[in-house]
Amino acid sequence: MDLSNPMREVYWNITGKNLMYVLLVPVLVAFFRGFYSKYRLWKIGRPTRRRDNWRRRLAGFFRGAVVQEKNFRDRYSGWMHFFIWGGMLVLFIGTANVALDEYLGVPTMEGLFYLYFQSLVLDVFGLLAIVGLAMALYRRYVVRPPRLHRTPQDAVFLGLLLLVLVTGFVIEGLRIAVTEDPWAAWSPVGWAFAAAFRATGMAAETMVGLHRFSWWFHLALAFAWIACVPYTKLTHLVTSPANIYMRSLGPKGRLEPINLETAEFLGASNLRHFTWKQLFDLDACTECGRCQDACPAHATLKPLNPKAVVLDLRDYMHEYGPLYLRRAQDDPWAAPAETPDGRPVPVMVGAVIAEDALWSCTTCRACMEACPVEIEHVPAIMDMRRFLAMDQASMPEGMADAIRSLETRGHPFRGTGGARTDWLQGLDVPVLDLSAGGGTRGAAGGAGADGAGPDADFDVLWWVGCAMAFDERNQKVARSLARVLHRAGVRFAILGNREKCTGDAARRIGHEYLFQTLAGENVATLNQALGNGRPRRIVTACPHCYNTLKHEYPDFGGHYDVVHHTEFIRELVDSGRLKLDGEVRETITFHDPCYLGRYNDVYDAPRKTLKDLSGAEVREIERARESSFCCGGGGALVFVEERIGTRINQTRARQAAETGARTVCTACPFCMTMLADGLKTTSGDEVQALDLAELVDRATAPAGPAAVGAGTGASPGDGSR
Amino acid sequence: MNIVVCLKQIIDYEIPPRAFRIDRQKKKPAMPDASLVIGPFDENALEVALQLREKAGGGRITAVSMGPESAIEALRKALAVTADEAVLLSDPAFSDLDPFGTARVLGAAIKKLGGADLVLTGRQSGDWDAGQVGQLLAEELGAPCVNFAFRAEPGGDGRVRLYKETPGGAEILEAGTPVVATVTNAETNQLRLAKVRDLMAANRKPVPTWSAADLGLDPAALAAGRIEVLDLYVPTYDARCEFVTGETPEDKASALARRLVELKLV
Amino acid sequence: MPGIVIVATAEGQGTNPAALELLGGGAGLAKALGCPLEAVLVSGSGTDPAGPAAKLFAGGARRVYSVRHERLGNGSPEAALEALTAACRRAEPRVVLFSADRLGLEVAPRLAHRLGGSMITDAVALEVRDGDVVATRPAFGGKAMEQVAARATPQVVTVKLRALEPAALDESRSGELVEVPVDLDPGVDRVKLVERVEEAAEGPKLETARVVIGGGRGVGGAENFKQLEELARVLGAALGASRAAVDEGWVPASWQIGQTGKAIASDLYIAVGISGASQHTAGISGVKTIVAINTDPEAPIFERAHLGVVGDHKAVVPALTARLKELLGK
Repeated sequence: MDLSNPMREVYWNITGKNLMYVLLVPVLVAFFRGFYSKYRLWKIGRPTRRRDNWRRRLAGFFRGAVVQEKNFRDRYSGWMHFFIWGGMLVLFIGTANVALDEYLGVPTMEGLFYLYFQSLVLDVFGLLAIVGLAMALYRRYVVRPPRLHRTPQDAVFLGLLLLVLVTGFVIEGLRIAVTEDPWAAWSPVGWAFAAAFRATGMAAETMVGLHRFSWWFHLALAFAWIACVPYTKLTHLVTSPANIYMRSLGPKGRLEPINLETAEFLGASNLRHFTWKQLFDLDACTECGRCQDACPAHATLKPLNPKAVVLDLRDYMHEYGPLYLRRAQDDPWAAPAETPDGRPVPVMVGAVIAEDALWSCTTCRACMEACPVEIEHVPAIMDMRRFLAMDQASMPEGMADAIRSLETRGHPFRGTGGARTDWLQGLDVPVLDLSAGGGTRGAAGGAGADGAGPDADFDVLWWVGCAMAFDERNQKVARSLARVLHRAGVRFAILGNREKCTGDAARRIGHEYLFQTLAGENVATLNQALGNGRPRRIVTACPHCYNTLKHEYPDFGGHYDVVHHTEFIRELVDSGRLKLDGEVRETITFHDPCYLGRYNDVYDAPRKTLKDLSGAEVREIERARESSFCCGGGGALVFVEERIGTRINQTRARQAAETGARTVCTACPFCMTMLADGLKTTSGDEVQALDLAELVDRATAPAGPAAVGAGTGASPGDGSR
Repeated sequence: MNIVVCLKQIIDYEIPPRAFRIDRQKKKPAMPDASLVIGPFDENALEVALQLREKAGGGRITAVSMGPESAIEALRKALAVTADEAVLLSDPAFSDLDPFGTARVLGAAIKKLGGADLVLTGRQSGDWDAGQVGQLLAEELGAPCVNFAFRAEPGGDGRVRLYKETPGGAEILEAGTPVVATVTNAETNQLRLAKVRDLMAANRKPVPTWSAADLGLDPAALAAGRIEVLDLYVPTYDARCEFVTGETPEDKASALARRLVELKLV
Repeated sequence: MPGIVIVATAEGQGTNPAALELLGGGAGLAKALGCPLEAVLVSGSGTDPAGPAAKLFAGGARRVYSVRHERLGNGSPEAALEALTAACRRAEPRVVLFSADRLGLEVAPRLAHRLGGSMITDAVALEVRDGDVVATRPAFGGKAMEQVAARATPQVVTVKLRALEPAALDESRSGELVEVPVDLDPGVDRVKLVERVEEAAEGPKLETARVVIGGGRGVGGAENFKQLEELARVLGAALGASRAAVDEGWVPASWQIGQTGKAIASDLYIAVGISGASQHTAGISGVKTIVAINTDPEAPIFERAHLGVVGDHKAVVPALTARLKELLGK
């Protein structure tokens, strides 16, 4: 043996190694067959484009699948998973290197590469993988966090993998022990195993025999494990990285429109109605349960669990998907009715996924934000809601009332037939007059309000939003914002009664038809109002309006420069047009509205402004920013009586109150409604909910904070929401 | 079974008092931006008809509305919840008719449709709230009338079983056809939401418009109303809260009790 | 000479209470028009009309047309319509006054049609102008009032309960009792009663009640709703609640009034311990008169209320109940 050239004999002690390739054949057959049958199931779905823009996809792939940023949000899980998959990957590369050496003559098994990589690195990563597995077993079976469930499958494949790793080291240890490998120290784990074997005083003969047995045993285990991949959740080795690569690149707040004129079905009531990517999502799930932990509905004992939605759909696809592959009956979009042996196929929406689960979703996107493999839960839930809302006309009563009101009155507030301009009584808020004659028109009841035609002198169109215009509490926010805009010298105008609901409520209920009707009307109005002259911006204090105007109206011909009032106020402060001189002696915590934060990444603008308030102390809620906990009002649930479980808004109110802050600042009318209500129940009058505009109103009031404060505080009274 | 449902398009009944405006000269509401909706009880009537057709396993529902061109929206909504047909009765001569005139026009339209086994209307319109048209229509058609009905089912021998709300509960009645029923609201008869497919089909469905001439009615005779609106005004007591005062809670309670009796509220 | 005819129903030895109100109001019209005041008395076959008729005479009726039939006792409007038509053909009235109760609501318009007259419903005030009855009535859910003149005779009017001052009884007065034979057309059998269902639940329904009492968070507990129940019994009111009270589990969800609950359209709504969030007020836009009892003078409910009491309901409500019992003679 040449001691100047480190190496080891490949396939030492192994005879008939070519049997390995014979055994590999069924393994590969099982592997590819498994994935092929999966592929066939994915193809049941409709087409969608998910392979465009490879540069962005690759960048996201690097962050999501290689660095695995989201995994590391939970440090323990992050390292645990990194040890396992990193170890596996390195060991796989090492094994591949052996083949390169053996068949292509690449000298991977000698020299420094052999010493550093094939011996040392492989040993270390093998050990790390064992550590990772130990961490995994400890967490799943000792710590038992609720987000992880325990199936026999988990135990089998974790155990199998552990055995593969351990037998690997056993083989190495036996080889070292028998061959007295001079470079054994470069394989520290194997060396330790060798020492252990020697210490047993085992005869060399026995060790040679044991080595040979272990080698084949290790091989069989590894092959079995590989063959299992497409049939267990190990599928995620392949599907999760692919899913990250094929993730949605569109604006997070945009739902895919339905062409209602040509649509052959409305929403999703079976597998055919999903896109192939939505079906691919199901097989990409690693069952990690982060979505379950993030979900406000699940946290308040609703029948919705995003993880269960994915897994139940996956199981449905695996069990009944093959039936979809047979030639469909008369209707090419129909689901199979029964199995070949005459059992009925359960209906996907209603039986597999309960309607109550679908209606519990606030569309807050916390699940998707948490998902390390970019599964798109919310669009799938929305597609099933679309089926219920449009095909079945079935929805919770509060939502039905909102739809009825939207149909006839253009706003979702049942029992409110007033004018959109009621709130601006006594304020100087110009209302655009878009009627044929143009000219000026005072707002109904708005004494002294100037009317303004489309050519009028304004830079900013303020989209007020229904909640601000009709809800009494939020009308106060609108009045505050009007004062703030005046103080900053902003030339603005509103649309008055020409404004309709953006349709967010209808769309998130699933009523795409009504949404598109409203969107069409609003786009026509906005294009007329903003059409001629210089570019103008739209400012709105409602994150739902903001999201829809910004991300959803482009699909309907409306392309606008939209800012949320928290961003706009920030700009005004930064540019010196707004001076936050007044004292606001409050301890404040900020509640991130889902459609402002998670959907539109506006986290810092409101926080900066709060920090600029003199006298204010800002505290963060534990669940803030990306992991913010929904107020319970999103997805049109603000209109629904929460009858199951505990109340989301009270849960959030408690979280906010735990910071010790006396003021919960938010920037969304629905959050305001929900939090004000939740705080009243959980904290009495101790903690108030205020909009950022109201705090800024106080900080900019010329008469000092006290004088205006009374007019901007939360509504008094003993409460009756 | 042929069912006719009469619908009136009215100004949004949910407009709050503070936003309610009238034109005292024209003696009409004056809120150009207000939404137009179907009368609430007319919606209940439509739902009762839909449920009856389901229970009977068939039948034909025709929605009829007398009103201006805009009333076609009310009819489209009826078609969207799967009324089979709709007819708009529109003519300058039909504007501002009193309940007798309205019943005359509706009666003529129903006769032109070939009659009906069951005619449903709301118990009152939801705007002027005279609560007469359904009953007058029964007279026009020579049919009996069941008021405050909230549910209808097929009865024996081609009769209609009607559930009537009474102060003490309910009566179950069986009526031979033709019969008119005026409908009141109940938990069971809120108008369903339309399925989108039906909604889109309803937009494509033709809705004929019949004029006075089509119905063989003499505009001059219709114009001779039996009542005349002399004035319409917004009562002032709606304007602000009158605080009842007193030294002790008991005093205040007594003062409130007196006011309630004075105002004939109890 | 065509006169003013009021429609009364026999109740035991007397009449329905509203008949006296109609006589009171009818007397004013009779005076203005210079014509006699008469009545039609509707009774079932078992009743002797003499007693009720005497009450009507005492209330100022000069003549009473009595229609009597077994079918008139069971609330069948078809039969009542036949009978009243017969009576009015005999009386040839200039004005017919009904109370706006079930009989009036169900029969008066058809009677007007049969007699070729005019019809005004739900009058709250009556006067005579240029020889015609002019009635004031609420429209648009009470958001407006209209004055309507009758322009065809007979002028049939239904009058809301308690809109008119009851006539003073003068037992010394007497008059002529005219029996009008009732020959019911077989047509009345076109509608047959199959079954009568008495409602088990006490009190009227929220949606249709004329008086509703609602409690909110300020009521402070399930046991305090007992006080509201007591008041409701006195007023014959239905009980409702704000979402807050339902949320607290003090009352069942079916009581909830508001955006996610029921919408009410009562004549009177008494809101107790309810601040008046729009969630709640969304359900009371159809109410004609709102009374608010609340400790907080700034509560938004007072912006919607017509009558307000600033005070602790725990003291106000029992006192109110007691006082109303006295005033209403219960």
